[in-house]
Amino acid sequence: MQPIQTTSLVEYLSPLRLVGPLAVKELRVASRRRRQYALRFLYIAALTAFVGVVWLGVVPYEGNASLVQSRMAAAGQRIVTTIVFFQFFAMQILAIVLLSSAVSDEIYHRTLGILMTTPINSLQIVMGKLLSRLLQLILLLALSLPMLAIVRVLGGVPWGYLLSSLCITLTAAIFAGSLSLLFSIRNRHAYGVIIRTMFTLACLYFVLPALFGFTAAYLFSRAGVNLGSRAGAMMVLGPIVVSLNPISSMAAITSRMFSPSGPSMFSLSVHCAFMLSLSALVLGRAMTIVRRVALRQAVGIADCGSRIADLRGKANPQSEIRNPKSGSVRRVVGPPLVWKELRAPFIQGIDSRNSYIGLAMAIVGLVFTYLVGAQSKSLTEDFTHITYVMLFVFIGGLINIVFSATRITTEKESQAWPLLLATPLSDWDILLGKAVSAFRRCLPIWGLLAGHVLLFTLAGYIHPVAVFHLLALVTWLTCFLTGSGLYFSARFARTTSAVVASFALVIGLWVIGPILAGLMGVMGGKNDVLATYLWSHPAVQTQLIMTGATGAQNAGTSWRSLRYATAAVFHTGREEMNVGRVTCLLMAIAVAYILAGLFFFWRAKCCLRRRIF
Amino acid sequence: MIEIKKLTKTFGSLVAVDHLDLFIGAGDIFGFIGPNGAGKTTTMRILVTLLEPTYGAAFIDGLDVGKKGKEVRRRVGYMPDFMGVYDDLKVFEYLEFFAAAFGIEYAKRKAIVDGVLELTDLVSKQDALVDSLSRGMQQRLGLARVLIHDPKVLILDEPASGLDPRARIEMRELLRELKRMGKTIMISSHILSELEEICDRIGIIEHGKLVFSGTLEEIRPRLGLQSKVRVKVLGEGIRAMELLSVLPQIQSVEVMASQPSSSGLSGEGPGSTLLVTFKEGQMADGLIARTLVNGGVDLLSLQPEQLKLDDAFLQLTKGIVH
Repeated sequence: MQPIQTTSLVEYLSPLRLVGPLAVKELRVASRRRRQYALRFLYIAALTAFVGVVWLGVVPYEGNASLVQSRMAAAGQRIVTTIVFFQFFAMQILAIVLLSSAVSDEIYHRTLGILMTTPINSLQIVMGKLLSRLLQLILLLALSLPMLAIVRVLGGVPWGYLLSSLCITLTAAIFAGSLSLLFSIRNRHAYGVIIRTMFTLACLYFVLPALFGFTAAYLFSRAGVNLGSRAGAMMVLGPIVVSLNPISSMAAITSRMFSPSGPSMFSLSVHCAFMLSLSALVLGRAMTIVRRVALRQAVGIADCGSRIADLRGKANPQSEIRNPKSGSVRRVVGPPLVWKELRAPFIQGIDSRNSYIGLAMAIVGLVFTYLVGAQSKSLTEDFTHITYVMLFVFIGGLINIVFSATRITTEKESQAWPLLLATPLSDWDILLGKAVSAFRRCLPIWGLLAGHVLLFTLAGYIHPVAVFHLLALVTWLTCFLTGSGLYFSARFARTTSAVVASFALVIGLWVIGPILAGLMGVMGGKNDVLATYLWSHPAVQTQLIMTGATGAQNAGTSWRSLRYATAAVFHTGREEMNVGRVTCLLMAIAVAYILAGLFFFWRAKCCLRRRIF
Repeated sequence: MIEIKKLTKTFGSLVAVDHLDLFIGAGDIFGFIGPNGAGKTTTMRILVTLLEPTYGAAFIDGLDVGKKGKEVRRRVGYMPDFMGVYDDLKVFEYLEFFAAAFGIEYAKRKAIVDGVLELTDLVSKQDALVDSLSRGMQQRLGLARVLIHDPKVLILDEPASGLDPRARIEMRELLRELKRMGKTIMISSHILSELEEICDRIGIIEHGKLVFSGTLEEIRPRLGLQSKVRVKVLGEGIRAMELLSVLPQIQSVEVMASQPSSSGLSGEGPGSTLLVTFKEGQMADGLIARTLVNGGVDLLSLQPEQLKLDDAFLQLTKGIVH
């Protein structure tokens, strides 16, 4: 028999052999998508905005040329650092987003099973998906290289720093992307993948080191280890911890650039090798399960997204048999849509029991941090409670954004939306049900916030006025984020688009907005532009509320004597404000946001019956 | 019951439905057929208020679907060509949810859900999760959902797709039962032979335009087809041909086939089949029988040739597609 085709040396050595035709297809499709070009434009625009702000902050807008000249080297270092950190975080976020639908899209379109009937193997599927999407990220990195090269001319930035940061960014992005790809095999919704990946990375990069630090501090204090011995131990443990964490690694090389004579606690090669090994492990796992998932799909078990379904499938591969009869049928009581939304598990694909276990673990973790805080006497400090409340508000806001933006699009994707719209339920009934559903998902985190604030109010660490202020903050935040999320969910057909649009709104309002306000203030010579804008920022409001109401001194003060250090929060304006004035301002902002939220609800109602299919 | 007037729907430059006029009477089963992309689903989606018409109007039970959406939805049961499922809901819960959505009182819901479960033979699956059902079961569940609020009008888009032969027969029987209950049913399907058996009237749509609407019998003159009869006689058929050719109502007679006697027994000589074509507007089976018997020919059978819906569909849509 004649050989069909002879492989040339070039073809044999081509990296495309590793990734197979899937990568070629992915690249071809990507080149036709307008969103790729929009992404590049937005990336450059955001990078330019950040650099612009740093430039204006370092180099005086007005002044003589020699003063400007003298600041160039410092400006160069600050700008390069900004670009490098921007790239570092942006690359990881983009890697997570781009790979969040890598395999789930194939499952959604039922093409994964078909792929498995071709000679394409699991390695080619996984690597094809990973590399084709990472290539988009490398293009973005390349786009910022000219800016780095130009800024480097200003001096003060060694080549080593640029190369090291590039390596750390790339390996971190590969790891984040690999995790996202792995989760996309198990989860049918991109937003679910994004949340899981972010949560896992947060655990790896923040929670684990924090737990390590807390535990070490606790054990040292219990064992009565003196400060010298603690420093010695940290000299040994420090480099290990830093080398295993890309954020610490980035911080370590940056601090070394600013103070080259300081001690080095970081090894680039160890870090890169560790991150690549971790990525290889994750990808290996992805290769193992992608075939299993594909085969299950090919034999007709459609739902590959749910872990519960997966476990049921393991017990018996027949779809009819994986159908459990356990648990009783629940009767529909009250408004049907509200009932349905309350009936659903907290997180899609994770049954309620696991959600409660997760909540219980979170409470145990929280209590553990209280114990450690009590041991180190930090619970009486303002900073501790500002951090706690800020964290709760941040997580609550995040959950609210995601779940509001997914309420309608998930029904569109599961094709149940037209069935619902074909019933006589009014548009407001439907929106109310969806809003209740989104709020219900946020309840655990708001419950934790309420528990924390009430506990420490009763303990005398937080003034009771903070309860009312935080209630107002949570109310407007919920109303605004739910309204905007539902609007985008009604407006878009795909969940990922709705979630991205919701995040874009929030980032625009609370990240880009302050930057632009700052720029306008600097250019116009008016610092109060930024300060006025920041009043509407939830993080700044949280800081203001907690700064004025926490601490041993404030907590025991009468309502009339309470003073809020607004100058410390906004860095401008009046030194202090009394509780009445702060309350009025907070309420006015709350009303404005609630009205904006209601406007979004109305817009959601207007486009509820558009783009149904 | 369903009236469509000059209905037009465009998506950008694409005209999905083009000045469609249609009337379906109360209690009728109306088969809506057409090639892929002809505009069937778009028309149905407009009727169930999921799409707004660009121009024209549609009425169900006298209600304008564009203006009285909520009232229309109470009267219509819509089964789309896909099965929208809610994860984590069981069959009973799924049906009760829609019963509640249609405003059925709590006290009556259980009995109604039990009734439709029985009607669609899903009682044994009532505790099963909806997304774990097989395709055929999901189709049944879709039909059960459609019936939950006892609508006057059923709009069913490809209800038999994905069903096995037994389930199709059961579905057909169910539709006949629903017709007996007085429901008006508009049904689209690609399985034309099934529509042929259950539909009172059919509509053929192509490129958004209705190319035919009426009964199958009404298609023949629309296609310019003459009636034909297949005549089987004993012997070679020459005599029969001579007798029939002279009749004024008959246009042509042609011998289709002659076959020898299988057994060779007396009285069972070789048989012949003749295809008799009547002149347009003429049909006289009795005259043929009388003429042949009087002429001494042994008539074995006389069978009017049926027009198949598949043939009508092919002929009506042939040529319009560029």
